[in-house]
Amino acid sequence: MKLRAKQLFTSYLLLLILLAVQFGVAKLPLGEAARGFVLLPALIMVGIVAIGFMELGKGPRTARFFAVAGVVWLAILLGLGCLDPMTRVLYPTQSTTAD
Amino acid sequence: MTEAVDGHEFQYSTARHQAETAVSGMWLFLATEMMFFGPLFLAWIYCRHAGPTAFDAGAKQTDLFIGTLNTALLITSSLAYSFGVFFIEAGRRRAMIQCLIIAWLLGGAFMLLKFAVEWPLDFEKGLFPGADFALAPPDRNGAQLFFVFYFFTTAIHGLHVIVGLGLIAWVVLRAREFTASRHTPILVVGLYWSFVDMVWIILYPLIYLIGRGA
Repeated sequence: MKLRAKQLFTSYLLLLILLAVQFGVAKLPLGEAARGFVLLPALIMVGIVAIGFMELGKGPRTARFFAVAGVVWLAILLGLGCLDPMTRVLYPTQSTTAD
Repeated sequence: MTEAVDGHEFQYSTARHQAETAVSGMWLFLATEMMFFGPLFLAWIYCRHAGPTAFDAGAKQTDLFIGTLNTALLITSSLAYSFGVFFIEAGRRRAMIQCLIIAWLLGGAFMLLKFAVEWPLDFEKGLFPGADFALAPPDRNGAQLFFVFYFFTTAIHGLHVIVGLGLIAWVVLRAREFTASRHTPILVVGLYWSFVDMVWIILYPLIYLIGRGA
């Protein structure tokens, strides 16, 4: 049981460190391409909450299956949804160039 | 064949089978919740890609201090709840109740900061999309889109927090029924509460961080 308490405190500490990293990085003048990397600590934090607080690794196999299925479908949704805006080339039209 | 007689409902082979089914069921529900929030994140990506400078301008108007404090509050609330689970598994019901009350109070503090402090400040600053929107062109339209996302997602997340607070209160009120070997509702509510925390962890950089330093 002491191990579990230690695991909870470690998870909490990691979450606070990552939150501080995010807070610190927020005001850096990052380029447009690098701004998405601010999400990286957040994704690690989500993993810590899932494993540390929600004990996903200890739960039943079906629970892990549903969690992975949720992430996979989310990746498909975001991946396919982003394809069009990320790959489309917008050519200026007469009305936009007139502005 | 009731739960009171042999520890589980008739359709399950053991009490453990019943508990695992409840936990798996909650994870299935959380997977559907991911699908619920997914399109909102997609809308953010799409609109940000269309007008990055306007989204940067919008992000700069948000209150980073309150946003960060709220993130810390929810993380601490999740920790408190997890300790509640830890204590009931050790048979310490009183400590479990205390942890859950702390989790509830921290969740309540989040709601107060968000909707009684931050939102009124945003309204005062003229950040609600509409004719009186504070930001001037050329970023005006895109920044309004940013604040549509901001108000909508924080409202939806707030609704989830309210449901979570209700569930925690329900667990505390029924605390006498739970023991070290029979506490599945506490586990299931804890999963939901941590998920609400997870959603906020993703919303925090989308709203407050990305583009702030631009």
